[in-house]
Amino acid sequence: MTDLLALVVQQSVNGIYLGCLYVMVALGLTLIYGVLNQINFAHADFVTVGAFSAFFTVTRFATKVLGIPDTGAYLLSLFSALGAGALLGWIVSAAVFAPLRRRGADELRPLIATIGVSVLLENGQLALFGPIPYQFDSPLARETIRLGPIFFSGQSALVVAVSVAAIAALYAFMRFTFMGKALRAVAQDRETAGLMGINENLVIALTIVIASALAGVAGAMLGPVVVLTPFTGASLIVKAFAIVIIGGFGNMEGTIIAGLLVGIIEAFTVQYLGSGLIDLVVFAMLLLMLVVRPTGLIAEHKEENV
Amino acid sequence: MTGVFTGKRGIAFLLALIVIAAAPWLLNSAYWRGILVLCAMNVLLALSLNLVLGYTGQLNLGQSAFFGIGAYVSTILIKTYGWNFWLAALAAVAAAGLVGLALAAFAARLRGHYLAIASLGFAVITYQVLVNWESVTQGVRGIYGILPPVPNAVALFYLVAGIGLLVYFLLDNLVHSPVGDTLRAIREDEVSAAALGVNGAVWKAFAFGLGAAIAGLAGCFYPGFVGTLVPDAFGIVESFTMMAMVIVGGMGTMIGPVIGAVVLTFLPELLRGFGELRLMIYGVALTLVVLFMPGGMVQAWIAFKNKLA
Amino acid sequence: MTAFLKAEKLHKSFGGVRAVHDVSVEVQEGSIFALIGPNGAGKSTLLNLLSGVHQPASGSLVFNQKNLIGLRAYQRARLGIARTFQKIRLFKQLTLLENVLAGFHIHQDVPLWKCFLPSSSTRFRADALELLAFVGLDSRANDRAGALSYGQQRMLEIARALATRPRLFMLDEPAAGLNAAEVEFLLKRLQNINRRNVTVLVVEHNMDLVMNVAQRVLVMDHGVRIFEGTPREVQANPRVIEAYLGGEFAA
Repeated sequence: MTDLLALVVQQSVNGIYLGCLYVMVALGLTLIYGVLNQINFAHADFVTVGAFSAFFTVTRFATKVLGIPDTGAYLLSLFSALGAGALLGWIVSAAVFAPLRRRGADELRPLIATIGVSVLLENGQLALFGPIPYQFDSPLARETIRLGPIFFSGQSALVVAVSVAAIAALYAFMRFTFMGKALRAVAQDRETAGLMGINENLVIALTIVIASALAGVAGAMLGPVVVLTPFTGASLIVKAFAIVIIGGFGNMEGTIIAGLLVGIIEAFTVQYLGSGLIDLVVFAMLLLMLVVRPTGLIAEHKEENV
Repeated sequence: MTGVFTGKRGIAFLLALIVIAAAPWLLNSAYWRGILVLCAMNVLLALSLNLVLGYTGQLNLGQSAFFGIGAYVSTILIKTYGWNFWLAALAAVAAAGLVGLALAAFAARLRGHYLAIASLGFAVITYQVLVNWESVTQGVRGIYGILPPVPNAVALFYLVAGIGLLVYFLLDNLVHSPVGDTLRAIREDEVSAAALGVNGAVWKAFAFGLGAAIAGLAGCFYPGFVGTLVPDAFGIVESFTMMAMVIVGGMGTMIGPVIGAVVLTFLPELLRGFGELRLMIYGVALTLVVLFMPGGMVQAWIAFKNKLA
Repeated sequence: MTAFLKAEKLHKSFGGVRAVHDVSVEVQEGSIFALIGPNGAGKSTLLNLLSGVHQPASGSLVFNQKNLIGLRAYQRARLGIARTFQKIRLFKQLTLLENVLAGFHIHQDVPLWKCFLPSSSTRFRADALELLAFVGLDSRANDRAGALSYGQQRMLEIARALATRPRLFMLDEPAAGLNAAEVEFLLKRLQNINRRNVTVLVVEHNMDLVMNVAQRVLVMDHGVRIFEGTPREVQANPRVIEAYLGGEFAA
């Protein structure tokens, strides 16, 4: 009996680890939607960019140039991924999102523009890195921590720690800083926020940068777990959407819960189904969600009044 | 009923016939003839997506799934059950069309980005089915030794291009008929269209089903052209490429997708000198067009003509 | 005489807010009926319930002896109910002519297979141009609808809705944003439409329009009926005056 319990707890732990990864990816997506009412199809490609920058930081830069040992190198790579994500987010915001807002584009165009960015990023990385998967080993993966009958790797501990820290920082930012409150204001009612002297463009740009930075860090932590190719984003994006839809667009708490949920479901079923069928299960859940409650598990049901 | 081949349209069709007839002889290497066949298939795919996206305004990101259904159903019927190509193609087209109707029924209530994500999810599910249902599809190992319905590349090009021309003709008539007006009304504003008596759900299903059937039709020729059939050709990336063709050419016009398909098939080939970077043309073209010229190349052409006038 | 349009005890809530509560209304055929009330009174919601954009949570709704409950918007349009919207919903990328032609589709009966064959559809063109002339826009028939001024867009929306040849025509704040001359024009057009035996139901804030055009007026506030009567009676009623707090209530 304790064996079964231990198994359940072990899988839950794995699930939380995976879930935190997914939350990190999905959080940025829901942030951008909350503030811009737009879906960023390129988001998962930001994750890939983060993964690649982390990879090259670890393998080329940190060890060879700076001579920092493994673990330090990996930690450094988290920061470089964060920076890469933030930079990329800033570029895309300035080059794509801002011009479209100025032109008063409808719902369709920005969406397609992000698809264009996604294709661009994927093919750009393909040109730079080639199609063959990269082996991204995190030094912390070899460290095992043991708590009674439960095992988890140093990597998963790091992931959970970083995720929790990031979410806590985000919450603190949103609640206690002016910029954070401005962000929430813009998310609720952009026009009024503007009338109250908030510079919406700055807030929106900042949101995209934060979201992309999150994606970058997620990529650095995901790198060791997934097959790393320029097209990793394409396989992640739908899962990220599933999480955001289940949790409710723009709803941070919902996204966190949904991300953990998906992670746990995946941890429990991967033994029996294999990762391909996992995707099927998650997406079937997504489609079910869209039919039954398109506004998400947590959000209220909004009817359009014409 | 006005004449079939009169006036400007008649001239355009004649021109198209001439170009199609001459092309394999102007580009007479095996390599370029292969590109021509690919181009013809892309034209069909772009036309199919344009019906749903350009005319009915539905953000369908899963069109590659129908392409794949057409390819797999026809190939399996031919290879495993010994069916004749044309019967298999008919069945494949019907299968794709039916799945298209199913997707539409499912997505009837979804708007904008929800539909986009649902269709994307649908594409992923289809891909996973193709990969995992190994007993039927051979999964990632693929199906080998598939023969095209006609013996050589030139004949295949004429066949696919001829079908493309026929489909263009039929769709062109359709979009200029009351049905086309109905679809456009749904695209512009579904709520007021309903207030004018338009049953949005039925017509969206029609567009989805027809678009899916055409994509399935293109799929029937793909395996024979390539020789082997693997699920990788029918993923999200394919859907995005199709979308790029429709939008870069000019969404919501008939000639736009054709132009987009031709340009985005040939341009990467002409840019071979730049190595792998040439694939970025899709992303660059799509992003630039959406930002600066949302009507695509057709819009650019019209603006150019107006400048001259 | 049974009412042309009869709604009884309609209820509709949105997430806990009672938009329409226990509202009943009867509209006689051939009349012009106005629905007024302060902002947030539930007028637009009521119109949406009548036209089929929303289904009521409870209550009954009968039009021309037919039960409307459960029927969707497009089905009600086919029964002869047309409407315009508070927020203008034109086909902005299409031309004026194409917009009005869209309204004629309800009368189209071309079989589907024929639509795949070449043809030139000129069938309702003359009728469409006539409707455009009716609202004074025939000179701009080939302009893009998005290029029109606000007042012109409103009139185009009316022309398009009329193309369906409705028995009941409902308008949601058609005078909003119009200047005095445009309101006068609208007033005359509505009377003209009514003379052709089209029943008109108009939701309005503009009292000039309501007083000069309506035969009966229903006043709503906070989702409920507070009074119904002739324009004169409404003007004099103390509850109505109170609801408006003397606002735009210039007699």
